[in-house]
Amino acid sequence: MIRNKHVLYVFGLIVGGLFIYAGVIKIADPLGFARDIQNYRILPPAACLFIALALPWFEALSGAFLIVGIFKRTSAWLVSFLLAGFIVLVIVTMARGLDVDCGCFGSLSRKADGWLILEDALMLFMALEVALSSPGRRTLS
Amino acid sequence: MILTKRFFAEAGLIAGLSVVLGLFSHVPLIRQFMRGGLSPGLISTETGPGIILITLAEAEDLFVGGQGVFVDARSRKDFLTGHIPAAKNFPFEEAKREAIGEVAAGIPRGKAVVIYCSGKDCPTGLALAVLLRDQGLDEVRVFTGGWAEWIAAGLPAERGNDQE
Repeated sequence: MIRNKHVLYVFGLIVGGLFIYAGVIKIADPLGFARDIQNYRILPPAACLFIALALPWFEALSGAFLIVGIFKRTSAWLVSFLLAGFIVLVIVTMARGLDVDCGCFGSLSRKADGWLILEDALMLFMALEVALSSPGRRTLS
Repeated sequence: MILTKRFFAEAGLIAGLSVVLGLFSHVPLIRQFMRGGLSPGLISTETGPGIILITLAEAEDLFVGGQGVFVDARSRKDFLTGHIPAAKNFPFEEAKREAIGEVAAGIPRGKAVVIYCSGKDCPTGLALAVLLRDQGLDEVRVFTGGWAEWIAAGLPAERGNDQE
């Protein structure tokens, strides 16, 4: 486990920054994101729309809190849970043979594929390192 | 370890805040959804002027009368397996990325443009129509039943390429 607070801070900055970015561009186009969710063919339209309205804010807020250092460990855990969820979703999607845009970064999204799992896993590693850093100790924040 | 009261309190706060912000930042969209202004494919059916949604019968009339230019918004793969005869294939994904102006320029003027995609829930036909309307095409028609309804009605179809 990484203990260097500078490294952990950079990890938080990278993951937090990506989550803010991913959140903000989806807040700007909720309907596009709702259709991306619908393409996974798991949820009905109303649920897709609800998630498309709330999830981007959840991502952006968790990312922002992670960087700013408020609720830092909680945010790191939330980001980790989300990333773990995304990884499972992509694996299930690939297993079902669906060819969909991941919807991760709005119109800049690419296919939900093995590379995406790798990227998510890398971010998950960074987020978990921050989450598991010694409790209560604020790293450079 | 992580599942402490504090974690749930903070996570709940972030989640609650997200829902509130999400709902309040998109009130017009929620209203539109509530009044049925979104199709099952989550496409806005309140597309504004210049786009006309047409039925199978209307699409068939335009086809039989030779007054329509049919544009297939599905992927090239789907198009090659079968499409409305003489339809042009403009996969929405490509049209979106590449210059939509070129797509618009490739459509002959003076005929009714009829766009379709796979079926009732497909979003790409209407989305392509909006892009083309914004390029200055008048009265872009969207055949909402799409390829599924066309083929189910036993109407003519052809396979292969449109690049003759």
